[in-house]
Amino acid sequence: MKKRVGVFVCQCGTNIEANVDTEKVAEYARNLPGVVYSTTYKYMCSDPGQEMIRNAVKEQQLQQVVVASCSPRMHENTFRRAVEAGGLNGYLFEMVNIREQDSWVHHDRGEATRKAMDLVRMGVMKVLKNKPLNISTIPITKKALVVGGGIAGMQTALDIAEAGHPVILVEKEASIGGKMTQIDKTFPTMDCAA
Amino acid sequence: MVAVAQHPNIELMTYSEVVKVTGYIGNFTATIKKKAKYVDWDLCTGCGTCWEKCPSKKIKDEFEMDMANRTAIHKLFPQAVPGKPRIDAANCTKLTSGKCGICEKLCPTKAIRFDDKDELVDVEVGAMVMATGYDLIDWQNSYGEYGYGKYPDVITSLQFERLVSAGGPTTGKIKRPSDGKEPKKVAFIKCVGSRDDSKGKSYCSRACCMYTAKHAYQVKDKIPGSEAYVFYMDVRTGGKNYEEFYQRSLNAGAKYIRGRVSKIYPRGDKLILKSEDTLLGRPMEFEADLVVLATAMVPAQNSLQLAKMIGFSVDKDGWYQEAHPKLQPVETFAAGVYLAGSCQGPKDIPDSVAQASAAAVKVCGLFSKTRMAVEPMTSEVDISKCSGCQLCVPICPYSAISMKEIQERGGHGHGPFTRQVAEVNSSLCQGCGACLPACRTAALNLKGFTDEQLVAEVDSLCL
Repeated sequence: MKKRVGVFVCQCGTNIEANVDTEKVAEYARNLPGVVYSTTYKYMCSDPGQEMIRNAVKEQQLQQVVVASCSPRMHENTFRRAVEAGGLNGYLFEMVNIREQDSWVHHDRGEATRKAMDLVRMGVMKVLKNKPLNISTIPITKKALVVGGGIAGMQTALDIAEAGHPVILVEKEASIGGKMTQIDKTFPTMDCAA
Repeated sequence: MVAVAQHPNIELMTYSEVVKVTGYIGNFTATIKKKAKYVDWDLCTGCGTCWEKCPSKKIKDEFEMDMANRTAIHKLFPQAVPGKPRIDAANCTKLTSGKCGICEKLCPTKAIRFDDKDELVDVEVGAMVMATGYDLIDWQNSYGEYGYGKYPDVITSLQFERLVSAGGPTTGKIKRPSDGKEPKKVAFIKCVGSRDDSKGKSYCSRACCMYTAKHAYQVKDKIPGSEAYVFYMDVRTGGKNYEEFYQRSLNAGAKYIRGRVSKIYPRGDKLILKSEDTLLGRPMEFEADLVVLATAMVPAQNSLQLAKMIGFSVDKDGWYQEAHPKLQPVETFAAGVYLAGSCQGPKDIPDSVAQASAAAVKVCGLFSKTRMAVEPMTSEVDISKCSGCQLCVPICPYSAISMKEIQERGGHGHGPFTRQVAEVNSSLCQGCGACLPACRTAALNLKGFTDEQLVAEVDSLCL
């Protein structure tokens, strides 16, 4: 696989920039093996930020992408979709966390910047070994099983059934209704439970 | 209840239990045990001749919290759905000693089946919703200060519900279980088992403050000249119109005393409660005719075994664990298995219904597609390296790894032979990586986090 890595360093407003010199990180990334393009931006997750990734993948014919920003729990899917929109397999992408694991937890800007460089270098080395992965699909049996026929189970069964899907409602007692059938009147409206 | 029974899309399986589940999201196979009812419900019309004539009439009625008797062949309660009876085998004279059989002789549709057996059926489903509810804490075994259950006039809130219900054993008249007299002074004790680290549960059962406010109101409403006292730690009325409801009970004359009751003992036909009024800072002794305990909710019996069998987790108290406390409150860690109602934690009716509808929407969302995408970052086996040691199989928390047999050509003087290798079901695998350290031959790799990728990362840092 060709090595044409693009590195995108996010400033996250001042969340990252305050403690990490992102320009310096981007410049450092440019000299890493395989990297042909690197840049910074204020909010990589914003629409213009995503467009920047999309366009760079096309214009620079990037084969791998590294985004250095927040936790992947936050925006991995956002960036994966941007990479895919540029025409690249979404798994030829790595996300590097320089916010939660760097700028937010360190105070020395020089040290934090050095750590960001380390993290970006790790991301670049990993992404060079990435292989395209394909999402597979599995069939879905459109029938639901509800275990328990109390008020919650009955409501779930009714809602699914009303939406047009068959439901099997299993209840261990000989009647549905559950605890609610033993209750006289119910708060706060004092209407009948059974 | 009737709406459920009448709905053409709902198949009811009552007196049944799920005993086995295999498969994965979109493709589960559940084995359901239809327990023997000894009555053919297709023929039974629910006419009632059998339970009217059944001679075994002295069996404690669990539905009435043992405060009334029922027959061996019985309907759970008058409005039961389906409205058909079953025979309680342990208490039926015919099934225990071979004599009797009166119901069989009298049944106009010949629906009695003394030779009925448990039956197992397999069903194919795409999603499951757990709605197994709660039970009440077994207070008799832990609360000696309230009499270990030996004073008949110390009852639980659910027993009180039956006493106050028009369909209950007293047709809605509040009577003392001991002598049938109408109590004039009723004491309610909240948090019995809830918020009690020493003997009960650390959590708040959430519904008790409100139903106790209701019970106190019902005492004042139903018994002229009565007194209702509520012993409480806090009054928690978070909910729409809940605080107003509590105020209504206060306005009706319910008296709230802040303090925990430390002892209950009988004196004559009265019960003496030793407590403290913590707002006055004084110990107090209180005489009551009836004491009602608001006992804690606990996970339903056997709910832990069910969770283990299906393969999702429970929390420290045994409630079913949601995938995220705020953002995924109805999902479990097992894809395609959702939660509704108090199996996830103590809940009142409005919250149970809301969560039930949320779970239904999750199921409908899944069913809106014919096929679903699966995350590709899953484990894979390099069968050329797999030694077939099987160490990975029990480690997988999602039961995604199984063994399969493969054919080898042989060589070096050996003929063709077969051997066992691991196989990962990519639909079940959640990509957690737990299997990787167990693999001694490094045959397992997590796609997206292969050894090669991780070593490249570490090298770049160390070399």
